[in-house]
Amino acid sequence: MNPFSTPAENEVVITHEDVDRAHDRSRVATARARRGFSSKARLLWLLVGPGVLVMLGENDGPSMLSYAATGARFGIGFFIPFVALTFCMAIVVQEMTVRLGAATHRGHAELIFDRFGPFWGWFSMIDLGIGNFLTLITEFIAIRAGLGFFGVPPWAAVLLALVVLYAALMSHRYWTWERLTLAAAVFNLVFIPVALMTHPHWHAVGHAFITWQPLPGFNKDTLLIVLADIGATVTPWMLFFQQSATVDKGMTTKDIHFGRIDTVLGAALATAAAIATILATAPLFAHQMTADNFQAAEFAQALEPIIGRFGASLFALGMVEAGIVAAITISTSSAYAFGEVAHKPHSLNLPMGEGKSFYAVLTLCAVAAAAIVLIPGLPLVYVVLVVNVVAVLAMPPALVFLFMLVNDKEIMGDLVSPVWANVLSTAVVFVLTAAGVLFGISIIAPNIFAALGGK
Amino acid sequence: MKNDERLNLDSDRTWVLSSLEHDQLANAKKQPIARRNLKGPELFVLWALRVYVLFMMTVVGYQVWIAAH
Repeated sequence: MNPFSTPAENEVVITHEDVDRAHDRSRVATARARRGFSSKARLLWLLVGPGVLVMLGENDGPSMLSYAATGARFGIGFFIPFVALTFCMAIVVQEMTVRLGAATHRGHAELIFDRFGPFWGWFSMIDLGIGNFLTLITEFIAIRAGLGFFGVPPWAAVLLALVVLYAALMSHRYWTWERLTLAAAVFNLVFIPVALMTHPHWHAVGHAFITWQPLPGFNKDTLLIVLADIGATVTPWMLFFQQSATVDKGMTTKDIHFGRIDTVLGAALATAAAIATILATAPLFAHQMTADNFQAAEFAQALEPIIGRFGASLFALGMVEAGIVAAITISTSSAYAFGEVAHKPHSLNLPMGEGKSFYAVLTLCAVAAAAIVLIPGLPLVYVVLVVNVVAVLAMPPALVFLFMLVNDKEIMGDLVSPVWANVLSTAVVFVLTAAGVLFGISIIAPNIFAALGGK
Repeated sequence: MKNDERLNLDSDRTWVLSSLEHDQLANAKKQPIARRNLKGPELFVLWALRVYVLFMMTVVGYQVWIAAH
């Protein structure tokens, strides 16, 4: 049975969104028709985007802060290969969204709504919306803290971030938005030169990759960091964003191979930036510096005596970039999900007049989160904690629906996951779900883990 | 950029229709996909998810209660 119903060709109405997408697809078709290395390279250039954006977007303010804390507390050792492993798990999950988007041309929220009913559709959208909004607040906290290093007042910092977010939207064109955001996202790699400035002990790095040692002491705190790192590797907005962006970009089943390359490339870049951040703050571990309660700018200040003002400035700018790119991608994923579930137009190719609700949701989410950060006396540390709890607890439903959808023969046809991929993805889904639940339990009942021989 | 008037020309329609797959068109995507016919194991998973959602709401509610106090 074909679950898709489409109008007859003579009933088709062509919209502005279709014309923009057709332009993008024409360029892809032209590049695909040619032979040679340069044509393949151009095809890759045209088709990369959602995967790189989602992976570098996940290297957001709180994540970079977490990597910085990992380097400062544990130095070079177990967590270097462990972070690389978590991104491998992210590839397995995100590849499924590429296939779903290319095969169905529908977003994740829309598929859940249509295939499993309005209850689960609205649940997923509201769940995502709350999680995204809280996460957006943490992004603006990172932006505020990062620019605070340069003496920029908080109101100016969040205003600057909103201007960048709005500037990317102004073209009303997916392609332009994607390229502008990609240009900003690549700046995430600024943590690599910062790491090089600290003159890392490369022998120790190589040893850590091969042996996964030295192991951190096994106690409650270590376990929580492991669980938090696993739980934060794949967050719900990533699933919704990459699938919706794949659809908005107009990718088809012919592009799945390049979609996979895009995802792996994004993961490789994000892994490099994450490991660089651990290496950058590892000298704080060597200098026995306590960094338990450091915020973004405080890491930059602590590093200044080691790497100088320029290096510390780069570190602070990296935090700002991480917050801005995540704010752009996360608010966009909320707008996509709302449009998909409410059956309103949802595309970055929409002119403002045709996509009022889409742009309104996107803008309102960002502006409200930015405004909250400016409230004096707001318990921002507590907001970050609640964000972690909501994010990890929201993952299991999102992963279960992803797994059921990608194995739905009626909508996926021959693109359902093969047995080996299902075994792999089941293992990853199990690990991510278990880590998320354990992390949630550890937050509400921390004493349970105290029995593990730690503090 | 083409305006909506020009979009009605047959040549534009033909070009767009040849560039996009039929179910990629914005108008086609307005048609909902048929509801899935859920069987035993899938129904069990969805009921397990409902229980999980209750657990999740309890945890988040507890967090908010702690914050309020």
